[in-house]
Amino acid sequence: MDSEPVLLTKRVRLLISILIIGHLLALVLPPLSVQTRGNIGQSPSVSTALEFFEPYSQALYIDRGYAFFAPDPGPSHLIQAAITRPEGPFIERMYPDRNQQWPRLLYHRHFMLSEFMHEIYQPPGPSEELRKANRQEARYWSLLRARYKNVHQSIVDHLRNEYPNDQVAIRRIEHLVPDLIDYQQEPIELTDKRLYRVLLDQPIRQDANE
Amino acid sequence: MNQSGNSVKNWLLGYVDAWDQFWFTPRQPHTLSVLRIITGVMLLYSHLVLATDLSAFLGDTAWVNNETARQLHDGTFGFSDFGRTYLWFISSPTLLWIHHVFTIAVTACFAMGVLTRITSPLAWFLQLMYLHRLTGTLFGFDQILTYMAMYLILAPSGSCYSVDAWLRDRFTSTDRGRFWNWLFPEAKATVLANIATRLLQLHLCVIYLFGGISKARGQTWWDGTAVWYSVSNYEYQSLDMTWLSGYPRLFSAMTHVTLFWEVFYCALVWPRLTRPFVIAIAVAVHAGIALALGMITFGIMMIAANMIFISPEWVQQMLIRLRRPSQQDEG
Repeated sequence: MDSEPVLLTKRVRLLISILIIGHLLALVLPPLSVQTRGNIGQSPSVSTALEFFEPYSQALYIDRGYAFFAPDPGPSHLIQAAITRPEGPFIERMYPDRNQQWPRLLYHRHFMLSEFMHEIYQPPGPSEELRKANRQEARYWSLLRARYKNVHQSIVDHLRNEYPNDQVAIRRIEHLVPDLIDYQQEPIELTDKRLYRVLLDQPIRQDANE
Repeated sequence: MNQSGNSVKNWLLGYVDAWDQFWFTPRQPHTLSVLRIITGVMLLYSHLVLATDLSAFLGDTAWVNNETARQLHDGTFGFSDFGRTYLWFISSPTLLWIHHVFTIAVTACFAMGVLTRITSPLAWFLQLMYLHRLTGTLFGFDQILTYMAMYLILAPSGSCYSVDAWLRDRFTSTDRGRFWNWLFPEAKATVLANIATRLLQLHLCVIYLFGGISKARGQTWWDGTAVWYSVSNYEYQSLDMTWLSGYPRLFSAMTHVTLFWEVFYCALVWPRLTRPFVIAIAVAVHAGIALALGMITFGIMMIAANMIFISPEWVQQMLIRLRRPSQQDEG
């Protein structure tokens, strides 16, 4: 790097320095708020500081958590679509599908979409017990459920537009990664049927939590 | 007391000097100009790929339609943010296509360095508008691509390796006016090139630090199995690496190196002694992701982003050396 003398006046350097510090805080605080989230929600000090910078971070899309393959690499989530024709064969589509979506970037966008639908999944509810015990929590549940249902419906509508006059239904599929020890003892194909499971859209059973 | 007061003052002034040196020392634009080409080409590729299935991602019949995309940001579902875009309101396929062709044209100009002072901010802005519209279909590639485009706005990245530089040298005189100096800047050291470089360097440090911290919360990144579980994910896989299961020492070493490299990147990338090793691991990790995990675009962009730690003088010398043999052949 050149070691030329500093060219800007003190006042200009001060102004730029303030802007730089503000930008750096807007970069650091969003991922910090993700990492400092716990039982009481976001860390109160971090969330207070973030409040001021959040609009800027969100507008510039620098409000990311950067948790790539973290905390642990896990299973994939897919969307399976069943397209039923009034007088014709039954079609089944899986999203993403590397044979259908090309180039890889287009495939990856479909992959992220199916992961997004899983990420925002909220089971039916809230239960009557929750409604009575915590109205605010119950309302939050309803909003999350509405978000999932809207995205789900949007995906169904898109497929209906692609397959007019056909009936369309979708469901979430989890594609598991084989356990390492099992794989070492008995290697199986990564597309083995045993690694796929249907994720049902049903209320959380009370006994399942106990 | 007076002496200790002076030493505190000198100590603080030392920090102010170091801050000024770090941010306000002029820097040559050559590294940033190379990054402009890579960023521009990848932006162009991203928009071209989107064009192959435009109506599936934009408009009223997209996977996530206009209304739902807007509602994900505007508080309908309890979450309101400042990620806004006019693309939520464009329903006409014709208008979407006109907008997309315009975006492709602007991005191509940015990559080639045509009127870069104008096309650089415009390419970034258009990309940002797409990002806020494509909620649910984005990943790390979109993030790093947009950040690089954002920082390149600050710098005169079109001052070399560009059509602008060619036009400047061929058609404009040395005593051209202020506007023309701004539009077709000389390839010389500037403070803004340095600020853009420093911001991208620090942003990269933030990305790796929090990437490392979030991995450190998991179990598989500590017991050494994370790399195996990553490569055996069929949806990511582009190269079958499941044979790694037979070499536990190898995949666990790869896992540990990845975790520690990511956590300590922000400290070890600055000293000249450790920088080559840190950058070499970055290239290896991202090349691995590109080839084995099917994210070639993300891998390329992360390797390109790491180039920001290469001095512009070195880039300039390398490109001169690369040009020389071809010039000799022509001679």
